[in-house]
Amino acid sequence: MDRLRVISYTVRDAAENMALDEAIAVAVGAGRSPPTLRLYGWDPPAVSIGYFQEVEAEVDLDFCEAEGISVVRRLTGGGAVLHASGELTYSFAVSDMDPAVPQDIQGSYMRICSPIVSALRDLGAPACFKPINDIEVSGRKVSGNAQTRRFGAVLQHGTLLLDIDAGLLGALRANSVKLSERGITAHAQRVTTLSRELGRRVTRGELSWAVKRRFKENFGCKLDAGQPTGEELCRAQALADRYRSVEWLFRR
Amino acid sequence: MERSVVRKGKGGKLVKVTVVSEGGRIAAVSITGDFFAHPEEGLEQVERELIGAAISEVRGTVESATGGVTLVGLKSEDIIEMVEECLE
Repeated sequence: MDRLRVISYTVRDAAENMALDEAIAVAVGAGRSPPTLRLYGWDPPAVSIGYFQEVEAEVDLDFCEAEGISVVRRLTGGGAVLHASGELTYSFAVSDMDPAVPQDIQGSYMRICSPIVSALRDLGAPACFKPINDIEVSGRKVSGNAQTRRFGAVLQHGTLLLDIDAGLLGALRANSVKLSERGITAHAQRVTTLSRELGRRVTRGELSWAVKRRFKENFGCKLDAGQPTGEELCRAQALADRYRSVEWLFRR
Repeated sequence: MERSVVRKGKGGKLVKVTVVSEGGRIAAVSITGDFFAHPEEGLEQVERELIGAAISEVRGTVESATGGVTLVGLKSEDIIEMVEECLE
């Protein structure tokens, strides 16, 4: 990976974001687009659930409806994530043949998370990679990441929490088994934010800048500021319909 | 008859297996949770192949169907034990 296309922060709705990540992975896997890092946000706020999750077990759909929160099923496995204003999402796509990313799943999570861990440390947060797919600060999760390997590409996307919008947390159902086995009772006790850990307001701009810089250093590549191609945008538009469909959301 | 079993897998991933059975054979099965499977469709293939299986056939079916699937946060042994438990 000599060059990395960087698509700067843009805000889209849930279906468009998931569709664009998939469209980019398709183009990257086919060798028609370069390896790509994309930074983005969600408007309206959204809950994304993992590919294998049962939507009604994870999401309070009535709450989401009342609060105007979108709900989307991801192409990637993993858990449910609330994407509100105090959050930065990234996606990274690279050919599955690229030696920059290990073939084994656990190793590749660590590889792709390592520039993010470095970026968080640059900001002053003592971040650590926590297998399988989390990044923690002081034992609390600040970032969740999820990966799929399709289309000849490795696609990993993840969330970085700057601030919690506590008013929207009712969108996620607390899972009694998981919480009791960890001996904790509330989302706020197992999740933290950068602003809380650093005792100051961390902006999306400074975090984005640190993440881009660390991808460049960590992978030893040049960054090219770019935009989605016509092919990617066109495919994303078609894929967004699937991500919006009731069949896709309720398939589990 | 429908039964569900929930278990926390490796790395804290949560797995829920729900089996609908008729006369001791699986009519439908779903494996849900925050784990990963590569390729994802491989896990859906496991669910399809389990249809019609009796408890004695669960192990062999899951072992052969998960052969080409990389499971992360979930082991094929978890699937076998949980499906068998639903059928007991």
